[in-house]
Amino acid sequence: MNAAVTGAWVCLLAPLAGALAITLAGERISRRTAGWISTLTTFVAFAGALDAFIRLWARNHGDREVLSTAYTWLAAGDFEVGFQILVDPLSTVMMLVVSGVGGLIVWYSMGYMAGDDEERRYFAYMSLFVFSMLLLVEAGNFLLLLVGWGLVGLASYLLIGFWHERAEAVAAAKKAFVVNAFGDATFALALVLLVWETGTLEYPSVFERVDGLSSTIVTLVALGLLGGAVAKSAQIPLHTWLPDAMEGPTPVSALIHAATMVTAGVYLLVRTSPVFEAAVEIQHLAAILGAVTLVAAGLIALVQWDIKRVIAYSTMSQIGYMFLAAGIGAYGYAIFHLMTHAFFKALLFMSAGVVIHHLHGEQDIRRMGGLRAVLPRTHVAFGVGTLALVGIPPLAGFWSKDGIIASALATGGVLGWSLYLAALVGALLTGMYALRLYFAVWQGPPRETEDEAHTHASGQSEGPLSMLVPVGVLTCLSTIGGLLVVPGLWKPFEHWVEESAEALVHPTVAQDYATSVVAVALGLVGVWLARRAFEHGRQLVTDPTAWRILERKLYVDELYDAVFYRPAAALAVTLRQDVEGPVVERSLDEIGAGTLHAGGELSRAQSGLLRTYAITVAFAVSVLVVVFVAVR
Amino acid sequence: MSGPGVGWYLILSAVVFGTGALGVMLRRSPLIVLLSLELMLNAANLALIAFARQQGDLDGQVFALAVMAVAAAEVAIGLGLIVALARRDLPLDVDQASALKG
Repeated sequence: MNAAVTGAWVCLLAPLAGALAITLAGERISRRTAGWISTLTTFVAFAGALDAFIRLWARNHGDREVLSTAYTWLAAGDFEVGFQILVDPLSTVMMLVVSGVGGLIVWYSMGYMAGDDEERRYFAYMSLFVFSMLLLVEAGNFLLLLVGWGLVGLASYLLIGFWHERAEAVAAAKKAFVVNAFGDATFALALVLLVWETGTLEYPSVFERVDGLSSTIVTLVALGLLGGAVAKSAQIPLHTWLPDAMEGPTPVSALIHAATMVTAGVYLLVRTSPVFEAAVEIQHLAAILGAVTLVAAGLIALVQWDIKRVIAYSTMSQIGYMFLAAGIGAYGYAIFHLMTHAFFKALLFMSAGVVIHHLHGEQDIRRMGGLRAVLPRTHVAFGVGTLALVGIPPLAGFWSKDGIIASALATGGVLGWSLYLAALVGALLTGMYALRLYFAVWQGPPRETEDEAHTHASGQSEGPLSMLVPVGVLTCLSTIGGLLVVPGLWKPFEHWVEESAEALVHPTVAQDYATSVVAVALGLVGVWLARRAFEHGRQLVTDPTAWRILERKLYVDELYDAVFYRPAAALAVTLRQDVEGPVVERSLDEIGAGTLHAGGELSRAQSGLLRTYAITVAFAVSVLVVVFVAVR
Repeated sequence: MSGPGVGWYLILSAVVFGTGALGVMLRRSPLIVLLSLELMLNAANLALIAFARQQGDLDGQVFALAVMAVAAAEVAIGLGLIVALARRDLPLDVDQASALKG
């Protein structure tokens, strides 16, 4: 077997082995052991990914695509699907991000979840998630991709609802599952269409034949895939589940709802880019949805009070940038932003987790403040994450986000300029909401009571080592991770990813730096606005109407409630009252009563008189004889 | 083939069968009913054998043997029932043995 592939298989199967081991061992292992099994298997997966990456690196340019089939999984006539993985530049990057950031977050959760009643279940789910996500990114054909796609949805559902005694968590899990099921369904329909039209689900064959299909079919396939991507990545209009998903434990939010799973949609757009390039209007639709999401989510983030929800809206907004990039064909930057975002957003969530841990579950930023003095190291980490998010050079977010904005500029035309403007507005909003959060949590006078502060000060205030080390590592990555692409100097990351998906736009160095100046300036304006508002003790949104609209999240939940839930519920009630009661139940009652009645009547024919029976039989036989003779 | 034609046998068979059927339908004593049943069965046997002779093969005779075996079994059960009725001092009248009426 090819050596690059061995590492990839190890990477895929190690977390599965971890999940199985924890599940099978059950109560025989301590909670801590379960945590270590989960952490170590994820790091084994990272080692495997690293091995695959290095060996792939060593191969010749243009020969970096290895498909490895374990066995034929399904066969129906000419149609065959293998259990196969694809190791190419794109999938190795995703493997590294998923297993690397995943390993850090699982490690972190050993500290965060310590003492929880069901830690073993938690770590089994986490390992299951890492396996599913790796299956998603390593899948060698569309069907396996769909399997991974469904499994991450399942793991997400299980982990959002992990604290199942909380009604909100269960409701949020259900909502996430239902919304994602919609996306899964459109995705599956697209695959059915593909099998129907091309007779195969393997990437290369599909991409080869996609040009020969009618434009209607390609558009429908692309639309189906986009539906899946939009639901998984929480883009408008299927975004409503992500803020609610913050009911899950914070490491889950960091891993699934910031760093990896929600970016699966971006991966899908890049992986299946030939399909989208054949249906260019759908690709542009992806970009437009991304642009709308990044502005809308940025606005909503300005007024949220829950620390995790602010970060969740920020995640939606940042994924909007990635969709924008994938939609205009800047695949390298989309994946680059995916990676840097995984670093700094996981960092933000984990620092927020330290804060929440420190405050015993408090998530409302109105009750925070002045934590800088109590949690100095976390303050630095959170600050780095915030600045990376805003895109201040030389932190990670600067290089990736500005690359995307510059690509929009390079696209040109009405579309390019609109996207460019939306992305710049997004940069301004990012500065505002990120710094609003930062100031509210860390600056100003402490809002804890003396008593609480005292109990916190004694004891391990910033949490155990298993929480601090991953935060430290991610702080470093958020600081230097962006240096993989420096316009005009070198772009190894972009070139690496473009071996899998050739980009459609390449901004010039001048466009790059001009954009950077504008974007950083706007980010700083946002920072300045947030600082001024904080110093004057007022909010960033002062108009009460606007505040109310944003606080209700643009009334999308209410809209869906009115458009989907209420008619469905009303229909159900009507059917219950007017159809099930009178028609179904009544008819069953009637059938039962009728049978009883007929039985009673018929039993009277059962006289018990032998001679009557004999006469009846003789008469019946005579009639039959007459009938038979007559018919002949 | 000698003797009367198959038509005569059939006429006799029909007469015997009709006698038996009337006996089953009209008489109330279980013993007579049982006897009448035997008449019906044997009328059928007669017809079977008559046809067997006419056709010149043994199929009908084989059937007649089978019918005899069934008749023997039926008589055993029927007489057993009559004995059981008599032992319990129940009236030997088929019209009064109607406990299974609906």
